[in-house]
Amino acid sequence: MPSTPVTHLALIDYVIMAVYFVAVLGVGWGLRRLTRTSTDFFLSGRSLAPWITGLAFISANLGAQEVIGMGASGAKYGIFTSHFYWVGAIPAMVFVGLFMMPFYYGSRARSVPEYLRLRFDEKTRTLNAVSFAVMTVFSSGVSMYAMGKLLNLLLGWSFDASILVSALIVLFYVLLGGLTSAIYNEVLQFFLIVFGFAPLVGLGMRAVGGWQGLSARLAEVATARNLPATAYTHAWTNLADASRNPVGVEWFGLVMGLGFVLSFGYWCTDFLVVQRAMAAESMTAARRTPLIAAVPKMLFPFLVILPGMIALVLTTGSAGGAGQGLVPAKLAADGRPLLDSAGRVLLDYDLATPMMLVHLFPSGMLGLGLTALLASFMSGMAGNVTAFNTVWTYDIYQSHIRRGASDAHYLWMGRVATVGGIVLAVAAAYVAGAFNNIMDLLQLVFAFVNAPLFATFALGMFWRRTTGHGAFLGLLSGTAAAAVHHGLTLPAGMRAGVKGGYLGLVHVFPSELAQTFWTAIVAWVTCFVVTIVVSVVTRPRDPEELRGLVYSLTPRPSDHALSWVARPWVLGVVVLVLTLALNLVFF
Amino acid sequence: MSGATGLDIRLPIGALFTVLGLLLTGYGLATAGNAEQYARSLSVNLNLWWGLVLLAFGLLFLWLGTRTRGKASAHPATDTAEGSKTESREHELGLER
Repeated sequence: MPSTPVTHLALIDYVIMAVYFVAVLGVGWGLRRLTRTSTDFFLSGRSLAPWITGLAFISANLGAQEVIGMGASGAKYGIFTSHFYWVGAIPAMVFVGLFMMPFYYGSRARSVPEYLRLRFDEKTRTLNAVSFAVMTVFSSGVSMYAMGKLLNLLLGWSFDASILVSALIVLFYVLLGGLTSAIYNEVLQFFLIVFGFAPLVGLGMRAVGGWQGLSARLAEVATARNLPATAYTHAWTNLADASRNPVGVEWFGLVMGLGFVLSFGYWCTDFLVVQRAMAAESMTAARRTPLIAAVPKMLFPFLVILPGMIALVLTTGSAGGAGQGLVPAKLAADGRPLLDSAGRVLLDYDLATPMMLVHLFPSGMLGLGLTALLASFMSGMAGNVTAFNTVWTYDIYQSHIRRGASDAHYLWMGRVATVGGIVLAVAAAYVAGAFNNIMDLLQLVFAFVNAPLFATFALGMFWRRTTGHGAFLGLLSGTAAAAVHHGLTLPAGMRAGVKGGYLGLVHVFPSELAQTFWTAIVAWVTCFVVTIVVSVVTRPRDPEELRGLVYSLTPRPSDHALSWVARPWVLGVVVLVLTLALNLVFF
Repeated sequence: MSGATGLDIRLPIGALFTVLGLLLTGYGLATAGNAEQYARSLSVNLNLWWGLVLLAFGLLFLWLGTRTRGKASAHPATDTAEGSKTESREHELGLER
């Protein structure tokens, strides 16, 4: 633990944080009388306007890991990071809104695992529900740990107190107002994050002389690292050859692995985001939810990636010691900078965005920026907690532990699960601190479990012949295939272990990301093929039972009553065209 | 009965940003002559200018929230035909209990 924090806050900064805490607690308090049934608590009574669910959809995903992590990626990989948005999110968000929401919302499933129960069977649902519940708790814990460590380093706050206070605040407002409270606060947090980071980008761009100045400085960095001068400022130009870009990925692996398998697997099947759309007031509102969310998502690269890119080349102030720009070096236990195998200093990229805040914002604005950081942390945590309590109560407790109880009982269980989920997440945060390797291992396992998911959903929704046995065995074999592929390959320069290669070595990828993308592709293809093969040899369900659950047996939602601007597909096309334009601008 | 009928989210957002805007603007005015403090933000009094932006945004949301009070958020959720159909099937399958 460092003894001297990077900066100190003034009174005004604390006042701003306090005002924010009062606001989020006030929202929970204001909603306390409106949570009477389990549907109110878990699904906001399916009553929210689409702009609210849309902003919550994006905000629940905008956790601290996103803000810090994308800034870190920006410093490490440059504008390439925008692929996580323009390739790795927008197309999938448009797809889920236009084509999948009719089944999620129309089937009246209360959760994503419950859709699997309706479409397939109990075992497929339980597999998905259990892995999802465990995953939300641990990812919440990991981000809590990262936040506690960051606040300790920057401000010298106690790790324990930071975690405890933020956990209690989230607990309080979710307990009182359920999903509505979480969603309302996510909308509030969304605006706070935008208003907290926008001036940082503006100021940073001014400091480096605009996009041209930034490009020129990043070109020097790229040349110094033996990469083409455009490596950090062009998203596609250097993707033909993995050795010519900072990420070590070629375009096919990127488009298939990230853009198709991982992106559709997350945005189309993850209950954390889908739950927000399920809370919408109508089918049209549910379908518009991810489409509305796609508009800010499209612009987020400028908000969260640019600060990292700027941090790498900004020379006003100093990061101290061996770092580059504002990005400090990673330090060994004795305080000396760590070096990589080539003898270059390893940079602590996770500090890129926080260092920008600390070095550019005066007291007052610094309070706002740090509050935005806290807001991103809380929105991510509340998102995890509300998804966890719903899946636990409906898909595990109600279907396996206690069936047929009263609605009041399940509402009570939801509240208990909220407390339990947060307690487990806090415990996970301490486990993450004590055993880093366990966390790496768990995240690896989750990646294996998630990779094949979209194959199951796509087949389930668009091929009526798909059976429950097919889906279940497909998922298991997809996960196994991911583990085997990962176990037989390694990223260049890594030793066998948690990075792969534990089953032998068949192939070496140029980078870890390339390995991740190809592992996902292998998992998806395996699940897709096994599901089809098993479905063909097992008995299909009566088509009558699949009405509303499968594309060919569900009436298309009619948009005729809507004016053409309000129709979901119009919005979807607009979003895709704008995304294409952004890709061309930064080609 | 649902959460949305009780509280218009625009009001707390409007209130929060109005207060934050007032705080930052006030602090910006109070520290206006302090060149040393604003050296890091390229000699821009960011507190003052951004405070005014937050204030404008907060007031806009307060205005929107009060203007449509009791009107926009009071209508009940609309059901689609397929939604009701699956809801009754859900009932038959006993998924509600």
